[in-house]
Amino acid sequence: MSSPDEPLEGAGALDEARFERAVAARKAAGHDPATSLCAAGADVLELTGVGIMLSSGPRLECVAVSDAATGDLEAMELMLGEGPCHNAFRTRATCFDADLADDRAVSWTAFREHALAAGVRAAFGFPVVVADDCIGVLNCYRDCAGALSAAQIADAQLVANVSGSTMLGWQADAPRDTLAWQLEGSGGHRVVVHQAAGRVSVQARVNIDDAMALLHAHAFAHGLVLHEVATDVLTGRLRFDV
Amino acid sequence: MPKEREVLRALVEFADTFVDDYDVVDFLHRLTARCVTLLDVDEAGVMLVDADRTLRYVASSSERMRMVELLELQHEEGPCLEAYRGGQLSSSTTAREADERWPQFGSHAREAGFESLAGIPMRLRVNVIGALNLFSRRPGGLTDDDREIAQAMADVATIGLLQERAVRDGQIVAGQLQTALESRIAIEQAKGILAENMTVSVDDAFTLLRNHARTHNLKLTETALRVVSGVLPAASLGLSGRTTPS
Repeated sequence: MSSPDEPLEGAGALDEARFERAVAARKAAGHDPATSLCAAGADVLELTGVGIMLSSGPRLECVAVSDAATGDLEAMELMLGEGPCHNAFRTRATCFDADLADDRAVSWTAFREHALAAGVRAAFGFPVVVADDCIGVLNCYRDCAGALSAAQIADAQLVANVSGSTMLGWQADAPRDTLAWQLEGSGGHRVVVHQAAGRVSVQARVNIDDAMALLHAHAFAHGLVLHEVATDVLTGRLRFDV
Repeated sequence: MPKEREVLRALVEFADTFVDDYDVVDFLHRLTARCVTLLDVDEAGVMLVDADRTLRYVASSSERMRMVELLELQHEEGPCLEAYRGGQLSSSTTAREADERWPQFGSHAREAGFESLAGIPMRLRVNVIGALNLFSRRPGGLTDDDREIAQAMADVATIGLLQERAVRDGQIVAGQLQTALESRIAIEQAKGILAENMTVSVDDAFTLLRNHARTHNLKLTETALRVVSGVLPAASLGLSGRTTPS
């Protein structure tokens, strides 16, 4: 962590080559490509967790996380529809919350509560901009409060940019109309959640968006993460019959 | 010398063009017009390579030049093609030299009244994206100064064009990524819907979905979207798609 009186710098210490080495190290340790991007991002930026969301239509979809806890938090952020990721995506600008425990803050109160319960104290969202298009967000989570230095901001934006172009590179090599295999596995829980939404839409006789809302509402009401609820639906332990 | 200032102004103007969205063809027409005013040449033209690595006509300083360039492409010989293939300047200083080097194209150039022909590669490091043609009615070829200026203009234009291509390619893939992601979501949702409706596993549900798509010559994504929106009832997939009893 940088001390407050450290001089601000325009550019960070990180360069593409160093980040790529960190990604390679994570891959060598057995992580899949997308997880490696996030985990390496957390390594070089000295953060607790990193996640990448990409836009799918008007919505964001989590495609990669550094670890399972970050995946749960991202799912929560998507479910609540509030948090730095949404702001960063909407405004295409970096969104900072240096202290989620700050009582004076009024933004994303629900996300704040969940993040703190998960041990996260600060959250930052960086737009992933490729070729002038904002294609998603890089989310950074840290277990201690404190603003990012200018150098850290520059570093995180570099991680966001490189991750974005890496993912586009994967997609460019993928067969037409299919998602790049590198983006299939990580991000954790979304496959299960979408399958569960499909089941719930039949059980409750509602459209898919309402089915997703029912899953969210149930998770929220019972203090569960979306993935748990979805798993219960898929195993048949939970049904939404009308 | 005012020419230096003019050259500088032209280069700054080109560099300025690249800041915002710009029209590539319009920019290249301006480049050819600038070449004619700044250099001791009568006509200028640009050819660029397209996605399938074929050189194509893009811009010229006049209609007559356009015709000559098209003939150059048609006969697959001439200074522009040589500059593109070799990545370096290709020039002839008399009509006779052109005739000897490019038997078919040379006579067309001569008939159009050109004596000196030069092709300047448009290149950034190993990446050659096309060539700039500079033709003159007088023999003798480009002066050393003009050659340097022409290469500088070609270099600036190349950087701008590559940048524009990178942006455009990136946007295309970004769009494909978004579509693929949406498709992925729709397929998972459809699997859930079918699994629930048909009382089968999600894997079997996927088989039903895929079989229906194949049988009806539909894309998998399209089939999934129809299931999700309710246009395609789950029951109709069971009949056509079930190949193995479950």
